[in-house]
Amino acid sequence: MDLINLNIMGPLIPLGHIATGWDFVIALLIGIAFGFILEASGFSSSRNITGVFYGYNFVVLRVFMTAVVVAMIGLLYFNYMGWIDLNLVFVLPTYLNSMIAGSLIMGLGFVLGGFCPGTSYTAIAIGKIDAIVFTAGLFLGIFIFSEAFPLIEGFYNGGNLGSITMGEMFGVSNQIVAFSFVIIALIAFYVTWLIEKKVRRKITPYKFE
Amino acid sequence: MNKNYIFLAALLIILAGGLLFLPEKNNQVQENPENLMWDIAQPTRYVTTDQVAKMIIEKDPLFQLVDVRQNYDYEYFSLPGAYNVPIDSLLTEISDIILDTDDINTILYSDDDIKADQAWVIAKRMGYNNIYVMKGGLNCWIRTIIQPEAPPETAPITDLELYEFRKGASLFFTGAAISVDTDNKQGLKITRKKKETVAEGGC
Repeated sequence: MDLINLNIMGPLIPLGHIATGWDFVIALLIGIAFGFILEASGFSSSRNITGVFYGYNFVVLRVFMTAVVVAMIGLLYFNYMGWIDLNLVFVLPTYLNSMIAGSLIMGLGFVLGGFCPGTSYTAIAIGKIDAIVFTAGLFLGIFIFSEAFPLIEGFYNGGNLGSITMGEMFGVSNQIVAFSFVIIALIAFYVTWLIEKKVRRKITPYKFE
Repeated sequence: MNKNYIFLAALLIILAGGLLFLPEKNNQVQENPENLMWDIAQPTRYVTTDQVAKMIIEKDPLFQLVDVRQNYDYEYFSLPGAYNVPIDSLLTEISDIILDTDDINTILYSDDDIKADQAWVIAKRMGYNNIYVMKGGLNCWIRTIIQPEAPPETAPITDLELYEFRKGASLFFTGAAISVDTDNKQGLKITRKKKETVAEGGC
């Protein structure tokens, strides 16, 4: 085969480099990796997670913002190198109503239960009983939502902005959005570090080994 | 503060700052010209008006018709169930909705097949698959399906069968009066019974 012409560009599945039948296999592998990293970051501990709300532990914010920033910068460089076509990357449509209501409910569940859906499963994996109860409640919630869906369907589909990105919304390029987001993230890291220091008095910073 | 954090923060800023100096780049994939030329030369990208008529009559779920003429032409006359994507709006969102179907064959047509051919090339270069062109376009449609011409009596049987089919199709599409003098008023049925052999029916 002519290796020079072997010009593979992402996204791999929409462009047909990987057959669509594989997406479940890939999803499983990514899911395992995601669960592993959640657990490794200490997210199966409710104390770590709810620390965000009490101001003594912002590890959730740091881990997720780092992930977002790294993925953002990485994708934009990949696009520049011609390794991925950003136009083909799936963008979740924005439904304003359900996003706002959903995030309020999620935050409430977060601070009450001490888990988010993903971390409750990693906590089950390490044998936490409270996580099992939490997950039972999660399925109960799914059931109630599904049954009540006809009642809230109008609200659920309201405020549809389509598959819009920040850059399109504010009329700036993706690069500027990424750069501003990095600055915001770094400021957030610093401010939360200050808050943590105040709240915890004796903070032991993580040592790289 | 830990030195590593400062180093990582600086690295992030440098990488993100580098993004600001990247030129905009569009990686939209296009059909390789060599493959495109090859595809253009293939007669298999055409479907005949008879095939289209058959698919419409049989309500084939795996195809869709796209009229690439202007909207007023489309309003005036078009094929049943066809979408209208004028050739100059082919590069807008509408084509994404209609043409981006992997499981359904899309058949383009215009008055003749020139505009449809152009649309075919554009669609192909946009990366859509399963696109076909109705050979001869609507002119050929009128000539063959709506007003079929009777073949001479000496024509081969396949031509006569085709004529029967076209007459049936013409009835189907025009809703013309049934009082057409034809021996075979089956309308849509085109499969003919095979001639019984002499031996058949004996004991």
